[in-house]
Amino acid sequence: MSPRTLTRMEMAWALDAFEAIFPGPQGIGTMNVREYIQATFARIPLEPVIGLRLAIWIVALAPLFVLRRFRTLHGLTAEEREHVLVALAANPVYAVRQLVLALKAMAALLYAADPAVRARMFAPRAEALPLRKKTSVPPPPPSKEHGRAAKVA
Amino acid sequence: MLQRLPDRHPDENLPEGAVVDGASLGRDVDEAYDFVVIGSGAAGAVAAHTLASAGYSVGILEEGPWVKTRDFGDDVSGAFQQLMRGSGLQVLKGRAYMPMIQGRCVGGSTVINSAIAWRIPEDVVDDWRENFGIGDALTMRDLEPHFSALERDLHVRSVDERVLGENNRLFIEHAQKMGIEATPMRRYDKGCDGTARCLTGCPRAAKQGMSVSYIPWALALGARIFTGCRAERVEIRGGRAVGVLGRAGRHAVRLRARRGVLVAASTVQTPNLLHRSGLRSRALGKHFQAHPGVALGGLMDRRVDMSFGATQGAESIHFRKTDRFKLETIAMPPELAVARIPGVGSELAGRMAQFGEVCVWVVQVRAEAEGTVREGWGGGDSVRFTLTENDIRATRKACGVLARLLFSAGAREVWPGIHGLPHVLRSVDDVKLIDEGPLDPRAYSFVATHLFGAARMGPDPRASVVGLEFATHEAEHLYVVDSSIFPTNLGVNPQHSIMALSRLAATRIASRAVRQAVA
Repeated sequence: MSPRTLTRMEMAWALDAFEAIFPGPQGIGTMNVREYIQATFARIPLEPVIGLRLAIWIVALAPLFVLRRFRTLHGLTAEEREHVLVALAANPVYAVRQLVLALKAMAALLYAADPAVRARMFAPRAEALPLRKKTSVPPPPPSKEHGRAAKVA
Repeated sequence: MLQRLPDRHPDENLPEGAVVDGASLGRDVDEAYDFVVIGSGAAGAVAAHTLASAGYSVGILEEGPWVKTRDFGDDVSGAFQQLMRGSGLQVLKGRAYMPMIQGRCVGGSTVINSAIAWRIPEDVVDDWRENFGIGDALTMRDLEPHFSALERDLHVRSVDERVLGENNRLFIEHAQKMGIEATPMRRYDKGCDGTARCLTGCPRAAKQGMSVSYIPWALALGARIFTGCRAERVEIRGGRAVGVLGRAGRHAVRLRARRGVLVAASTVQTPNLLHRSGLRSRALGKHFQAHPGVALGGLMDRRVDMSFGATQGAESIHFRKTDRFKLETIAMPPELAVARIPGVGSELAGRMAQFGEVCVWVVQVRAEAEGTVREGWGGGDSVRFTLTENDIRATRKACGVLARLLFSAGAREVWPGIHGLPHVLRSVDDVKLIDEGPLDPRAYSFVATHLFGAARMGPDPRASVVGLEFATHEAEHLYVVDSSIFPTNLGVNPQHSIMALSRLAATRIASRAVRQAVA
């Protein structure tokens, strides 16, 4: 099997992960995620394909490590899924949080490209915003210790 | 008044036969030119036009396709696939992984950048002269007429007040309030109407990228471009470059060069091409430098609407000399910005609903770190690059300045995107957390856009790849004219300096060819 083709199980996990990032009746679940993932995996370089596949596995199996529960993301409530993803995004292991961020970026490329989503994002909000108390902010002085010395080869 | 643009863009109605699309090539090609130029980005396009203007026949090889203005959409995913190398997914590898953005199309990165014009700072030229043996081979006086010509040709001007947009206006207003020097950017702009779509290709050809300026102008002077054609190696015989061997799908493209080959394939691809061509300089692939960038988002107390205004329209070099960083604005398309908005699920949805009130401002660090460029697995490009502690200190300070600036401009939330810190700062008092933030490059989300070095210029063949006349030390008539020859990075956006050096190089190469012909 090609490394660019997700198994049925991996595809289901990917859909769960995408829906956990952008949930709800107006969420990414209403879009053609399966086709988007297949098209993306077919055209991007192999290295990111492998990274994203790994990210799908990490997210799917994360409940084992984050919640200590023997189930995949699929078996969790929306709140639990959010909790798992937030924990992964703040994971002390650099590779884990970067891979999860990559998955979020991939989902965002589909979701935020949708005209209806964009329209909602840019729509003026009706309610007045609470104004923050103005604070005087002095500028930091330029550093002396970082002044550029002539660079030597 | 904003300029009215012509109904037809300059990348339409090109001379018959001037463009050979490698994707539809039905046979092998073997042609001869005076000069062959590899690459059609900032350096290659200007060099090709300069040589064609001097009356020479010029063949241009471009690995990517020619995506016309009429085909530019606002779909970021599609633009990444069509216009960027590796679909925009290349990374610099080191202690942290850093996305590296490069154009791969006719016009190169000028199609996907924000057209920012900065003359090379004088202190950089002084540094090159004093510390890298460049001497008087490259002076501000030499470069001056080339900068002036480029500025005339490409309509360099400050961002028009009417297309500044709130993201840029707030930056300038509040930086100045805080005593930080800040100005509208100077850009290659022929009638920008503030569509904020520089990053996916200007849909009105107002941005004067190479695909709507020097490449069509060179073709009008008789040059010919082969698109979708990868340069595999420069043919070197008897110590002299005699042509380029390329490939377009199943077909071989051989362009013979009577007078010389100019390599302008970019900082990463140029050294690897030279290596594939048999050059073995010890300096080849070394001294790679960059300007890594970090973005900070702010949720403001007013409408900003990044969908209108110059994509990048405001900047500050206040800290460039003292702290090695530059501050800029950027109107990120929603598809890219959402990945940087904190949270997932309902928290993310809540912030996305307020996207019209989001500002994004960025830090660009003049990193002192040096990396290496090599050919990677499967013939790809591999760049290793790890920022130094000083670089991270500069980044941290810059992030602190931007966060204070965002709060000064009315931010209700600032999103630092720094691992180990709260993902949302709610008051200027929280900014001290950034000041004391981590010094680990893995805590920051860097992106590298400006790339330099790896085929450095210098007088010593043991320490440099290219001599002071832009020819390689190892092969005659083989010239390098892109930013891979820069001895250091600049601390400002490099396109203008790349073009000026390329124009200067091509002018000298052309006049030397005349002298040789006379002799």
